[in-house]
Amino acid sequence: MKSEIKGSQAFSYVEIALEPGETIVTESDAMSSMDAALDLTATLNGGFIKGLLRKYLGGESLFISRFANNTDKTRGLTIVQGTPGEVRKVTLNKEVLYLQPGAFLACTPTVNLGLKWAGFISWIAREGLFRLKISGTGDVFYGAYGALLEREIDGEYIVDTSHLVAYDPTIKLKLQFAGGIFSSIFGGEGLVTRVQGKGKIIIQSRSISGLAGWLNPKFR
Amino acid sequence: MNVELLHRPGNTAAKITLQAGENCTTESGAMIAMSGHMNITTSTHKKGSGSIFKAAKRLLVGESFFLNHFDPAGKAGELWLGTDLAGDMILLDLDNENLVVQSGSFLACEDSIEMDMGWQGFKSILSGESMFWLNLKGKGKIVLSSFGAIYPIDVDGEYIVDTGHIVAFNETLDFSITKAGKSWWHSFLGGESLVCKFHGKGTVWCQSHNPKSFGRALTSSLRVRRA
Repeated sequence: MKSEIKGSQAFSYVEIALEPGETIVTESDAMSSMDAALDLTATLNGGFIKGLLRKYLGGESLFISRFANNTDKTRGLTIVQGTPGEVRKVTLNKEVLYLQPGAFLACTPTVNLGLKWAGFISWIAREGLFRLKISGTGDVFYGAYGALLEREIDGEYIVDTSHLVAYDPTIKLKLQFAGGIFSSIFGGEGLVTRVQGKGKIIIQSRSISGLAGWLNPKFR
Repeated sequence: MNVELLHRPGNTAAKITLQAGENCTTESGAMIAMSGHMNITTSTHKKGSGSIFKAAKRLLVGESFFLNHFDPAGKAGELWLGTDLAGDMILLDLDNENLVVQSGSFLACEDSIEMDMGWQGFKSILSGESMFWLNLKGKGKIVLSSFGAIYPIDVDGEYIVDTGHIVAFNETLDFSITKAGKSWWHSFLGGESLVCKFHGKGTVWCQSHNPKSFGRALTSSLRVRRA
């Protein structure tokens, strides 16, 4: 499988070339265009109950789409996330990666998608009650609204709520006020997420809730 | 008419340089800056052609009722164009061909281009695009805009484009509304309930993102204001 991320950080989209016999798994409604000879099947995102949990608590769709190339030629397809922003590819080699709700875009079929309890702290931090656990071997595409920033951390780091996108399994999340009570309420930072551990975290430069917060008072 | 596209694809602006005697027609509201001596005429139709009926049709298409014509009045002048939604633009050079443009994507064209409304049949209602399309023909430059990046696909045979992602296509292509998967059930569950299937030989330009999907992602965070 060949893939190329195009459209810069502002409007990333992924061009994928599927060799005969290859399959790609995507979140539902990710395809923007494809060769008419590809086969699309929709499957439950890992069992009905799990699928439901993932939909309502994990922020992912109940069904996932599988695009299979059952022809004898290389076929192309283009996938994209719903919001404008950056998409990244990671290649897992028997590793684990946690994704925040809604960040998942696509993966090769050898990758496992699991749902893990993230805790109430994560929920209060508007990061969802569950997180997506991606494991196995293969390629994963994920993205978010805005550009993605990468930070290698060792110890503690603070991220504004709803800006965390992905993190290594060695990282723990804690919730706290940004500063004192005063600056937390009036400084616009409110609650922040304190991440602890040693590993990599991915942060999104913008957030949908930030945009909505800016838009809401403007509606008449 | 010389066109330069800057800051692609995130915040594209089109810089159009007009020589004396050259004219440019744009969608109304697209101008962000221009030379001081530039004359603007606003009309309901392309200069020298069309009628109020054409303008009424354009209104139906989701385009604005009015078009602006820029004339540098005997000197060279420049004109900057931008769009409301962030996204890419493309410059196409028509050489006596016909191009079908999703009406919201039209930004500007040279005076030598003929513009008319097209009706692609009832399938347009389901295509996620507006019901009418612009038919552009003639010889000259055209600037189209989109939400997201624009990528071309050379179709020879059949190709599927999700609804809401079409920017423009050669008139040598035709599309039908169909399902993405083998069965309606899978297509519906896969979130790709209806797609546009193109047939023939030609190019279709797609926009990478879909304003409706972005709207859906945003809607749940927007509050209903009570009066």
